[in-house]
Amino acid sequence: MSMLAYPGGSGRGRLEAVIDAGSALLKAPAVAGFADVPFAEKQRLVDEVMADMRYPDYLYGCYECGICVAACPSARFYDFSPRRIAQASAREDVELMYQQMEEDIWECSQCFSCVRCPRGNNPGGIITIMREVAVNNGLGSARKALEGYTRIIYKIMSTGTQVSPDMLQPDAFPDWGPEVKDVSENLDVWRRMLPPETMHTTSTGWDVDPRTLIELYLIWFETGALDMIKKVDEGLHMILEEVMEERLEEEGIER
Amino acid sequence: MVTNSVVVIGGGPAGLEAAASVAELGTSVVLVERRGFLGGTPIAENYANLTPHMESAEVAMGRLIERVTSNPLIDVRLEAEVSACRGAAGAFTITVGDQQIDAGSVILATGFQHFDPGAETQMYGYYEHPDVIALQDLEAMLKTHDVVRPSNGEPPKRLCFVQCVGSRDRQIGNEYCSKVCCGVASKEAIEVRQLLPDCKVFIFYIDMRMYGYWENQIYWPAQEQHHVQYIKGIITEVLAKDGRLLVRGEDTTMGRPMEVLMDMVVLSVGMEPSAGTRSMAQLFGVQQNKYGFIDSVRAPLDTVTTSVPGIYSCGAALGPADLEDCASSAAAAAVKSITSQRLRVSAG
Repeated sequence: MSMLAYPGGSGRGRLEAVIDAGSALLKAPAVAGFADVPFAEKQRLVDEVMADMRYPDYLYGCYECGICVAACPSARFYDFSPRRIAQASAREDVELMYQQMEEDIWECSQCFSCVRCPRGNNPGGIITIMREVAVNNGLGSARKALEGYTRIIYKIMSTGTQVSPDMLQPDAFPDWGPEVKDVSENLDVWRRMLPPETMHTTSTGWDVDPRTLIELYLIWFETGALDMIKKVDEGLHMILEEVMEERLEEEGIER
Repeated sequence: MVTNSVVVIGGGPAGLEAAASVAELGTSVVLVERRGFLGGTPIAENYANLTPHMESAEVAMGRLIERVTSNPLIDVRLEAEVSACRGAAGAFTITVGDQQIDAGSVILATGFQHFDPGAETQMYGYYEHPDVIALQDLEAMLKTHDVVRPSNGEPPKRLCFVQCVGSRDRQIGNEYCSKVCCGVASKEAIEVRQLLPDCKVFIFYIDMRMYGYWENQIYWPAQEQHHVQYIKGIITEVLAKDGRLLVRGEDTTMGRPMEVLMDMVVLSVGMEPSAGTRSMAQLFGVQQNKYGFIDSVRAPLDTVTTSVPGIYSCGAALGPADLEDCASSAAAAAVKSITSQRLRVSAG
């Protein structure tokens, strides 16, 4: 549910609630599919966005000219507007920024066509920061947006590659045509035709040294990527820890 | 009697510049000012700092006043009003009080007055709510570095400007843009933010007219450095609510109606011809436009010549004008007031 879908401001009760919360402007009431949280929590999230060291380079003033929307591919398909992102930030509109973190920011394709802004704004960059804050704080929208990546993360952590040739099944990719059936039936042969021996694999994209998995894990651990995963998908995090526990033990690595 | 002296009516920015310029070109001047002091509206209305350079109004106007009062060719008449004019170009006789003054030409620099936001079509409660003030009221507060809510003496936490009050309104009859209010409001917004960093400042506008360099001098600093919030949409009414002010309007670019609480509302009132401009225009018989400002009949390349030979006008008597415009048209009027006489003499 976007701002433009806001049905005309009926309902004084909701209106006053917003004003009492100290919002700069009336925002759409909580008709969207995300949980409302106390104003102080919204303020904390917004403060985290604004405290990011990139933020001053991404937001100046806004003409409200709409050139970013005109350039935006997502705006053609969704009720999404990079202008509203820049405006909400420029206005320090806490309520609206929270709403955008729960909705709009996931409709952006991060193509950065919007950087043609005559004032030098970077709405896509603001969205990058907002997404990071949404993920780091485990917002509902982040969990939902990243749902589809659970399997991919698990695959990377357990095999070291993101996709594997044996994922090529006719049922899984009907749009790839009849060749998929042929390839999948003789996958091993097709793979062995490839010149690099490291690619004569079917269950991983290429030969992965077990040591690589350890290093990958440690990188994720040290950079906080694992903490991020824990915030958005605790179950996945538990599985990853279990997968790696034995390997780390074997290598004599303590966390 | 044929004379080459000039009478300048009005001791504001335009009148002072005109008088000084005429005198510096070697012609004697009688400067007639209704008030008991020079400086015009910027001084009378307690302007704090001038747009866009933020120099103190008293300092800047003081320099101009000094240029006038130190020039022996200028005879300043304070608390004086013109009550009659006889004769024609080159030989006017002007009655000021009980004196007759001879003048070859006259410059009308009678200026503007702020639109009265208490007009009946305005629903902003200027005379109803003490915390609803106008641009010049805030100027006076800024001058003493004391921006507080008149109702309780506390500094505001949320303050907004409402643009185009008394301008661009067919209902009121003032269909014109008053030109300076966008810049002045933005300048005052910056000053409020500097004085009260905890106060959120909003400007509700139809469109911002920050022509030329004002855009970079005031508008963008207000937005980018001082975080003044510009919202496109005009407030329809101001209501009292729980000891604060509820402003109602539409946030047009966001596509949503809004009702927001403010501690103070500043009405960006436009310009109207001053009572002096109206009465002098009538007394001298110069053509006025439908709004009462004096017509410059040879515009655009001659901005100061009126419909009556020998009578020139400058500054905001000609219509809404910023100080740059006032200074420019004043100098132009000074030159015309002298050269017209010389041309007349040489033509014999």
